[in-house]
Amino acid sequence: MNQRGACIADCLCGRLAVLLSRKCVIDMTNKKKRAKIAVKEQRAAYLFLIPALLGLTFITYVPLLAVFGISLTDLNVGHFIKGGTMPPVKYVGFENFKEIFRNPSIDFLNSIKVTVVFALVAVVLSIIYSMLIAMLLNRKMPGRGFFRAIFYIPYILPATAVMISWWFLLKYDGGLINYILVSLGLGKSYFLSAAKSAIPSLAMIAVWTSGNLIVIFLAGLQNVPRVYHEAAEIDGANAWQRFWNITIPSMTPIIFYNLLMSLVVNLQVVVPALAVTKGGPGKSTMFMTYLMYQTGFRGRELGQAGAIAFVFFIVAAILAFILFATSKSWIYDEGGEDKK
Amino acid sequence: MKTKKLLALLLCAMMVSALFACAQPAAPATEATEAPATEATKAPAAEATEAAPTEKITLTFSLWGDPAEQETTQKALDVYNNSQDKVYVKALQIGRDEYNEKLQTMATAGEMPDCGMVAEDTAIAWARDGLLSDVDIYAGQENLPLDYLAFKYNDKTVGYSSANEVLALWYNKAMFDAAGIPYPPTSLDKAWTWDQFVEVAKQLTIDANGKHPGETGFNKDNIVQYGAYVNQYTWQLEVWALSNGGSFFSPDGKNIVFDDAAIEGIQKVFDLHLVDNVAPLNDGTQDNGFASSLGAGNVAMCTEGQWATGFRGAGFDGIDYGVAVLPYMKEKVTIATGGPLGVFATTKHPAEAAEFLRWYGSEENSMGTILAGWWMPTKQNYYTDETLLKSWVDDCPLRAALPAEAYKTAIVDVALDTNVTHQTGWYYTPNTFEVLTKTLQPALVEAINGSKTVKEVVDSVRDAMQAALN
Repeated sequence: MNQRGACIADCLCGRLAVLLSRKCVIDMTNKKKRAKIAVKEQRAAYLFLIPALLGLTFITYVPLLAVFGISLTDLNVGHFIKGGTMPPVKYVGFENFKEIFRNPSIDFLNSIKVTVVFALVAVVLSIIYSMLIAMLLNRKMPGRGFFRAIFYIPYILPATAVMISWWFLLKYDGGLINYILVSLGLGKSYFLSAAKSAIPSLAMIAVWTSGNLIVIFLAGLQNVPRVYHEAAEIDGANAWQRFWNITIPSMTPIIFYNLLMSLVVNLQVVVPALAVTKGGPGKSTMFMTYLMYQTGFRGRELGQAGAIAFVFFIVAAILAFILFATSKSWIYDEGGEDKK
Repeated sequence: MKTKKLLALLLCAMMVSALFACAQPAAPATEATEAPATEATKAPAAEATEAAPTEKITLTFSLWGDPAEQETTQKALDVYNNSQDKVYVKALQIGRDEYNEKLQTMATAGEMPDCGMVAEDTAIAWARDGLLSDVDIYAGQENLPLDYLAFKYNDKTVGYSSANEVLALWYNKAMFDAAGIPYPPTSLDKAWTWDQFVEVAKQLTIDANGKHPGETGFNKDNIVQYGAYVNQYTWQLEVWALSNGGSFFSPDGKNIVFDDAAIEGIQKVFDLHLVDNVAPLNDGTQDNGFASSLGAGNVAMCTEGQWATGFRGAGFDGIDYGVAVLPYMKEKVTIATGGPLGVFATTKHPAEAAEFLRWYGSEENSMGTILAGWWMPTKQNYYTDETLLKSWVDDCPLRAALPAEAYKTAIVDVALDTNVTHQTGWYYTPNTFEVLTKTLQPALVEAINGSKTVKEVVDSVRDAMQAALN
């Protein structure tokens, strides 16, 4: 290193030292400022969280505990009448839980079965249908906006109106669908008027109303990086291979979200029974929510209805837990690590 | 940051105020739609229920019924309100399907209406569970409703129907004329047997090629006109159990019977669709009466309560229909029903509410609803006194169109004959809703579509019905 060079190096070192010392001072000041800001932001965050916490506490957790408490009593609507004829409310332990399983007029096991079967069938079919429709609507084609609206509309229609309209369409005598079947030389179907076909018919209607899933899938599809497809095309992958190895893995977080939302919505199914089937034919559509409604709001047995509600919560929680537990094995991580 | 804090505080305030908004209000409030007051009632509407001596007491009267029926009721309330200086009655309309649920939910908040109509299928249970006040609406009255209109629990009368209704056969005159078939019999002595009824129904059933059931080439999947439509609400099916010599319940209302005769009677009704091909599939889950059959214009005969008289004045004017007696299997029977009026247990004004119901339940004051065809009187003298009978039958244009003479023999004479007119089960069983509507009705759909026999269905839910009854 010549003299000039050494001089330059000294200057640079001196400059660097000055800069570093200045930076130290600035850092110290920044740290204090940052700490102050952090505290303030934390306060703000807690303030913002309060409404949600209040809502969760008073609208979800407290009622949940209250329902559990009610399920341990023989509470009846008659108990709310001051000076009424009902004896005082009694603590009955887990009697209501035993009663809902052993009383043949309640037949709760059947309700769990039909609800879970309906939810699984409706969820699986809804996801497949929504994915297919979303992929079609993601292609460039004339009237794409119109078709997107058409497929979304069933979701925003009033649920009771939808059910009653479908009931008219599916009627055995005088229903449009059966009229078409007969016109085509095919036999009539009982659809909602037979135990075997009631759940598939209702699942079909649930699939038809899953416009919200289509919209979410559509948003997901538009975010699948185009470069992956282009790279795969260069590598000679065909359309199916690209769909299976690129689209589906990229969509797994969206699929998970839709699965979860669809599962929750379909487990809570009540409108078909309330508006049309009244739990029949047989007990084929006696969904848990409808049984709870019948027991509590028509039968006045609020204790038993509370027990049904609590078991329903547990069933829903188990299914959601299974979904979460298995999700780690199939959800593609955007960070690049497949957790498989 | 200040803005954020402010926003957060505002959100908190909103949440807290929302919580308070959910809390029980100090004064009773109702959420259901109030009946639109007619001109006469708009002015004197007093709102306070805790009335000062100079203020009017407001009573809430809950009711169901279609809009035409509710309008008639409102007119009666207008008359009452105009005659009162201390009481004002406002109507609370609730749909029939959610009537019980709504009132029971209101009961849990201690906010039931003061008085109102009571659903037949829960009347006794409500009295038993204390939802009805034990004030006697008919105290001191000599002219009580017909005996069979009394709801009894443990031998004590807990209420009377506010109207009388009996089941009858209704037919489309034009369809009979077109087929050249005489109208169905209007008197009990000439009542059709079940087989005669089925035979006529076959003649009136036509497929797209003009063929009738039993003819070669008849296509049961392409029927354009059906001969019959028997209402399959489970409570109405009881009439066919009785007609075939069976019963649903033991006389004390404490046991399920559903004997072989009852089962056979119901099976014959379902066979109208399954075997005879004269009736559309009718699974009992939706509108299940006049509107779906005669009103739809593709059925020649249907069974329905007396209230079907009122449909001519409520949108079915284009269909000229008549009334006849029900066909019979072994016994000539029909069943009577009618929702009672009740003072609800949470009222602060039981005496005023009872007085209003006493006024409202009298024929003189409910004549509007009677002349609209929805109700029949409940007192015997309105059936036996010629002048009174004329006032609601001959002088009623809707009944005159049936015509009135046919109405008198097919409805009035039948309603007076207590060997023929039986009580519906809910007059003496407390849990009819749980047994019939909740347990039996959905199960029976399997028999209606032919997947199972009625016997198989009844046997499968017999224990459940017995458990629900007690």
